[in-house]
Amino acid sequence: MARTVLQTAPSMPALFARAAVTARGRGGDLPDTRLARTGVRVEAAALAAYDRVCGFSLADPLPPTYPHVLAFPLQLALMSDRSFPLALPGLVHVRNRIDLLRPVRADEALDLEVWAERLARHPRGATVDLCASVSAGGAEVWRSRSTYLARGAKAPEGAPESDLSLPVGELPRPVATWRVPDSAGRRYARVSGDVNPIHLSGLTAKAFGFKRAIAHGMWVEARALGALTGRLPDAMAVDVVFRKPLLLPSTVTLATAPVVGGGWDLAVRNLQSGAEHLLGTVRPL
Amino acid sequence: MAPQTRKAAIVGGNRIPFARSNSAYAQASNQDMLTATLDGLVARFGLQGQQVGEVVAGAVLKHARDFNLTREAVLGSRLSAATPAYDVQQACGTGLEAAVLVANKIALGQIESGIAGGVDTTSDAPLAIHDEMRRVLIALSSARTLRQRLEALAGVRPGMFVPEAPRNAEPRTGLAMGDHQAITAREWGISREAQDELTVRSHHNLAAAYERGFFDDLVTPYLGLTRDENLRPDTSVEKLAKLEPVFGTGDPDATMTAGNSTPLSDGASAVLLASDAWAAERGLPVLAHLVDAQTAAVDHVHGGEGLLMAPAYAVPVLLARNGLTLQDFDFYEVHEAFASTVLATLKAWEDPAFCKERLGLDAPLGAIDRSRLNVNGSSLAAGHPFAATGGRIVASLAKQLHEAGPGRRGLISICAAGGQGVVAILES
Amino acid sequence: MGDWYRDLANSGVGSTLVGQLGLPRPAVLRRYEPGAPLLTGPAVVGTAGAGRLRETLTRVLEDAGVTVLPGVDDDGGRLAAVLLDATGGTGPADLAAAYEFLAPAVRRLGPSGRVLVLADPPSDADSPAQAAARQALEGLVRSVAKELRNGGTANLLVVPADAGASVPGPVRFFLSGRSAYVDGQVVRLTAADVPAGEDAERPLAGKVAVVTGAARGIGASIARVVARDGAHVVAVDVPAAGDKLAEVANEIGGTAFQLDVTAPDAAQRLVAHLRERRHAGVGPGVDVVVHNAGITRDKLLVNMDAARWNSVMAVNLQAQLDLTQALLDADGVLRPGARVVCVSSQSGIAGNRGQTNYAASKAGVIGMVRAWAPAFAERGATINAVAPGFIVTEMTAKMPFGTREIGSRINSLQQGGLPVDVAETIAWLSRPSAAGVNGQVVRVCGQSFLGA
Repeated sequence: MARTVLQTAPSMPALFARAAVTARGRGGDLPDTRLARTGVRVEAAALAAYDRVCGFSLADPLPPTYPHVLAFPLQLALMSDRSFPLALPGLVHVRNRIDLLRPVRADEALDLEVWAERLARHPRGATVDLCASVSAGGAEVWRSRSTYLARGAKAPEGAPESDLSLPVGELPRPVATWRVPDSAGRRYARVSGDVNPIHLSGLTAKAFGFKRAIAHGMWVEARALGALTGRLPDAMAVDVVFRKPLLLPSTVTLATAPVVGGGWDLAVRNLQSGAEHLLGTVRPL
Repeated sequence: MAPQTRKAAIVGGNRIPFARSNSAYAQASNQDMLTATLDGLVARFGLQGQQVGEVVAGAVLKHARDFNLTREAVLGSRLSAATPAYDVQQACGTGLEAAVLVANKIALGQIESGIAGGVDTTSDAPLAIHDEMRRVLIALSSARTLRQRLEALAGVRPGMFVPEAPRNAEPRTGLAMGDHQAITAREWGISREAQDELTVRSHHNLAAAYERGFFDDLVTPYLGLTRDENLRPDTSVEKLAKLEPVFGTGDPDATMTAGNSTPLSDGASAVLLASDAWAAERGLPVLAHLVDAQTAAVDHVHGGEGLLMAPAYAVPVLLARNGLTLQDFDFYEVHEAFASTVLATLKAWEDPAFCKERLGLDAPLGAIDRSRLNVNGSSLAAGHPFAATGGRIVASLAKQLHEAGPGRRGLISICAAGGQGVVAILES
Repeated sequence: MGDWYRDLANSGVGSTLVGQLGLPRPAVLRRYEPGAPLLTGPAVVGTAGAGRLRETLTRVLEDAGVTVLPGVDDDGGRLAAVLLDATGGTGPADLAAAYEFLAPAVRRLGPSGRVLVLADPPSDADSPAQAAARQALEGLVRSVAKELRNGGTANLLVVPADAGASVPGPVRFFLSGRSAYVDGQVVRLTAADVPAGEDAERPLAGKVAVVTGAARGIGASIARVVARDGAHVVAVDVPAAGDKLAEVANEIGGTAFQLDVTAPDAAQRLVAHLRERRHAGVGPGVDVVVHNAGITRDKLLVNMDAARWNSVMAVNLQAQLDLTQALLDADGVLRPGARVVCVSSQSGIAGNRGQTNYAASKAGVIGMVRAWAPAFAERGATINAVAPGFIVTEMTAKMPFGTREIGSRINSLQQGGLPVDVAETIAWLSRPSAAGVNGQVVRVCGQSFLGA
């Protein structure tokens, strides 16, 4: 296993560009590479901007989704590298699991490490998991697993079946309605650095086969968790699957239900059609 | 030494007629309306140049410049400039909560008299600049170099020039209050007919109260308006039946229309409270006493309770503390945010399951005599300038109790945004 | 609402022009201002008969700091007032003394001068000759009033033998600037218990006064003057005028009471209000009631609809009857020494085209006041009517120019009166010292040619 420690976060627009021009002719196994950064500090202004866009309140404990924003540039660097077997353009985020082992404070120095694993077969292509682990003071405090679907791609022989099932209880009662504006993708891109063209405008999204720009899955997840601020366990496992893309603009509803033993089930659905954009569970750890 | 408490007296009230949004009071600010209302109260009770203990009022929709709204209104009024004042805000509960605060200080002997009020305008509402534009301007104002300024300005996008108007929507749910109530109405099976009937009664009761001169010493005309603009004395169930639903319209059986929901309105109200001794010294009447009050809140976001159901929780607490049953009242003033709010609240009190599971009661509170409900009309007919409704109700009920004779009791129940409720007992 | 013509006639160029054209020259009237002296110059007191009131008159003048000249000498300055005590005469021969005193004195009268004659009642005369002499004085005074220029007025007080104590208050009023627009009037006094000592500046201190129709016009002016004289004013007007009413109440430190005086329970509510409140820090009740609320709904009789007729009657007459009766019936509400002043109108005396309803109602008020006077006297109270002539108000400002100009000129003072003139007369009748004026109709009309 190769472990590379980067001194700074890589430039994401450059990574997206590199991934785009090197998209063709990829294949093979996942690289046995880990990328890392150490002593990463959260920038207060960036955190505040993220909180505003996702509906968190600015506080010392980081939002449970925020370490993803720190780790994502490394994951992108991994995916855009020529050694990565799947082409980045067209990859769709289909599942995200986060384990928050304890509240992480905004002033802690964080060590990040990302890697890819589990290339799996999917009826419409192949999926891959991008993992991240965040430590503070030598102990892991947060980890995540993001599953991406590459439509039309082929997983190697003998690869396992992709598992996108998530049992969620009945969620009949919408608790909030969000009018998600056309600018939602651009706004989240500004605070997360995820400038994937499919989120930025209808025109750029069309280039990758979407009718309209689509909202970032991680934004939908963050917004849903933001709505539960103050009601989440200190240590928890968050598991969400992204179903139908949330086309911009849209009006969607959030449904939540507390579960016995703590935690929540949640769903984000289209107000008109009822189509599910996100299903999720939150369980105490 | 523990202070002796006493019950605060309600001496009287004043309000301006309530106007429909963007109508008679389109040019009037909250401060204009509150000042006029205070001056009407001063004239009614001869308080020119007098110092009252405190003036407490508020507005739900407030301009940044109105940070000290009530004090500024006092300074512009005929009251002594030495009268202290402060603002409160508890959404639609503001007016009643202000009265409770004043009454409590009187009860503790900290003040001898006070004025409680509220005002709201949906016509002269505070428009905010787009939030991102606001951040650009803040960055610009702190920029020191030309380069920093240009960087700040580079963030400007055309969409940022569109101002943000306040929406009558719950911040955490994004739902309009009416859409929230539509859910509650559906859950409680409140029929369109029942809502329209309650609405008609509100209009007819308010019209009759005007006809018999009930409001002659409660309302002072303002800007050419002498009666509440929303009042439709000739409305009927048949006329209301023609209206299309406007809330909860995703439901094919939606029941809530512009008729059986309160309209956006502008107006102000004020109530004069005092110790009995203060009133007696000045030869002023005591209409009623504010006996006790209670607030409650529900989790309308994730808790599965209706946004406007908090009064249903507050009332049993208040009743228990005062050793009363729901039937021990001569008059009930249940704020008509929507006709279905009143009906759902009454139904909840009659419902054994709700009373047991949600309120933790052995038996339901039971039904009330509907002929004692909102006998002089309520918000459906009068309109509902959010913070002004409490003052309207307190003054009207106090007068109604006074007319009925000594020892009469009235219950006030007001629901408020954010899943809150303020309730109180008055006694003559 | 200035008087453009009066202002022109009193300006430099205008004065010359008016003089050359032989046009009337309306004077700038001397009106009362707080702190103003009773008279601005010396007075002279004469007699034409036994003169039983001469001493009283002299005392009133001297108490007010007025110099009383011993007689009219030829080279003296202007006189501010000429008072003639014509009581105690026996027949027309005594009138010569009146003429002999008045002629030189009136010649010396200064601007806004006062001629005040006191006479015995003709009805009490012992003989036709005595009655004739007494009645003759009325013709004399009314004619002097028409001859006076420069804002001068002439009025007659009829003083029965037992009413001497009632004289000072009315004399002070007629001499003062408060009576600026009261001219050519005959007021008959009656015997009454007149309380001693009255604060000249605040004669109504500690009193509660109800003024109806107080939101605007003459009513607002009445409220201001009554409050200026010390009373706590309960300003009453219809609820629809409540905002203007509140402004008036706040301006004068009174209280606003919104009430439609024609409501079925209006009297009951007024009584309840006066019982419930302790205005002016004194016990419940009221000392002064001014029935001023009134409306016009003009139409020629043949075109008059029932609504116009009935509404005018309801407000202008029936409400005055009902409220007054209710106050009389309610124990302790109408306090001892109460004063009720009812606003009538010149139309009620002279009639007016297009105002059959209004004139009838206002004439009715006069009948009501006269009929009630004995009952009020029994309670130590009084009830009187004030009949305004052409008063310049917002209402008259809307009249056509010609009508307005003619209306305002056809009186001895050649100008319209002001609301304050009506208010001052009402405030005078409200005073404790007006105890001897009861059942009278005082016109505030500048001696109008109509219905004189």
